[in-house]
This record gives sequence, structure tokens and C-alpha cells, in this order.
Amino acid sequence: MITVYKIKTIPKDMDLIKLNDVFFNKYTVEKLDKKAEEIIKKIDQSQLVNKYTIKSRFDGGILNIDKLSTGCKTVLNIIYNTDKVFDIRECGENALDVIYTLEEGNITCDYPLISFEMTKVIAVGKKSNLEFDSYDALKEWWSDED
Amino acid sequence: MKIKPVITDKIVTRHTSYQVDFDLTQNITFIVGDSGVGKSAVFSFLQELSAEDKRIKCFNYLDQNKGYKNSLKKAKEKLFVIDNADILLDDSLRQYIAGDMNNQYIIIGRNPSSLLLQQDEIFELANEKNGGRVLFRLKKAL
Repeated sequence: MITVYKIKTIPKDMDLIKLNDVFFNKYTVEKLDKKAEEIIKKIDQSQLVNKYTIKSRFDGGILNIDKLSTGCKTVLNIIYNTDKVFDIRECGENALDVIYTLEEGNITCDYPLISFEMTKVIAVGKKSNLEFDSYDALKEWWSDED
Repeated sequence: MKIKPVITDKIVTRHTSYQVDFDLTQNITFIVGDSGVGKSAVFSFLQELSAEDKRIKCFNYLDQNKGYKNSLKKAKEKLFVIDNADILLDDSLRQYIAGDMNNQYIIIGRNPSSLLLQQDEIFELANEKNGGRVLFRLKKAL
């Protein structure tokens, strides 16, 4: 189950990563393993050829892994760095759907960004943590300025 | 706010096996869509085109600390192509862009708020594969 933070509720000792492309290219890429194959296939419809290359969905060309979409990189950042919080504002709907099915990971955004596929998440508030299993309830919590 | 394109109503370019053929019907063309459909690839092709077409200026997340806001506000008769718009464009810049009659914009992002756009001004990428070539066009977003 993923954990949702509002920007204001991110603990001071947790890093907030806004530039998902940069973080992926520098750090996450070194951590990729078999798990990443399925994610890359699902979101970008590309094939992981080896640690640093993918096969393009469009023409089958071999590309550096930095050509993955920002949404796909964001999902991989979340999966491989569960001690950090990632801004998900650049994710497309397909990446968002995957994020909300992850077993763990930390996300944030200035405004509610929720998959219709969501099942259950932990939401970190200023005073307490809440568990939500409905889109509308999570959206209401996320929209609340306090 | 619908304004006819002030710079061009068509962009065509090619990068090896990839072609871009965009009909631009409004002054702001906002492109949304799933992750991995080629939005940032198209940005890179337009960035390459900007090397020979001086009307085109491109910004993405790499320009975050490079004074792109001033550059944009001082510009005249430019076609700005902006990727990672959700990071680069704050509300005040979006409001500026919405009222800018001197420049034209292609904006790639997720959230079109504050740009005063109507639904039929928001587009997705369509791609057609033909004999090893891939052609990117615009289609109205659903």
C-alpha cells in the first residue's frame, strides 16, 4: 500500500524528489532488476534489453534507458527508493494506475492526483495517518488545505 | 481563450525514421496523454528543428534554473515548445501565456489549468507506423 503525503506533511528527514527524470538517470538506474521489466513493458510498452538499454515501442530501435517516459521513471523511482517521497505530477493515467497498485512507496503532489483503480492508501496528515479505500474520500482529504 | 496561431499553423519535421506533422489550430496547443506515448520524443524532434528555425524556442526540465520565465516574457514572434510544463509553469506564468498575443505555444504536460483552454484546445499524440517510419500527428483529447 502506498503512502500519500501533502507537501506540508513530508517529514523533514525524508527527501522530496521533484525532478524524476534526473533522479532516475543518476540513481535509480543502478538499482534496476527483473522487477523493472514488467513495469517498463506495462507503461512504456518497451522491452528492457539490459540494464542501460530499452527497445523502442515505435520502431524496435535500441535506445538508452534515459529515453523512458517520465511517468515510467517516476514509478521506478518510487519502487526502488522507498525512503524518499516522489512528486507524481508528471505521470500519465497509465503510470498513475500502476502507482496506486504498488505494495509500498511514497508519493506527493500539490493537488489530488488519484487513479480510479486505487484500492487502499495511507494518507499522512499533520496530526495522524489515515487509511482510505475510496477515490472520493482521498480526494476530499487531499483537497483540504489543512 | 481561443486565439488563432500567431506564428504558424503547421509544423513539419523529421528525425531519422520519425516524422512530426502537426496542424496547429489555436495559439496554445496543449498536449496531454499517457506516459510513454512519445510526447518527450516529439519535444526532442522539435528541439532539433529549432536549430534551423529561429522562431522556435524549446524549454524542458533541464532549463528549470536558466531564467526561462524572463526569456519567455521578453520574447516576440516566437513559437515556444515547453515540455515538463507541470514543473516549469506556475500559475502566474500560465496566466501570462493565456493572454500573450505576441508568441505561440506548444505545451506538453498533464494539467492545463490557468491557461484558459477549452476542451477542444487539448490534444493527444496519434502515431501511424508505415514501413519502418513513425508519423506523429495531433488528435483532439477525449
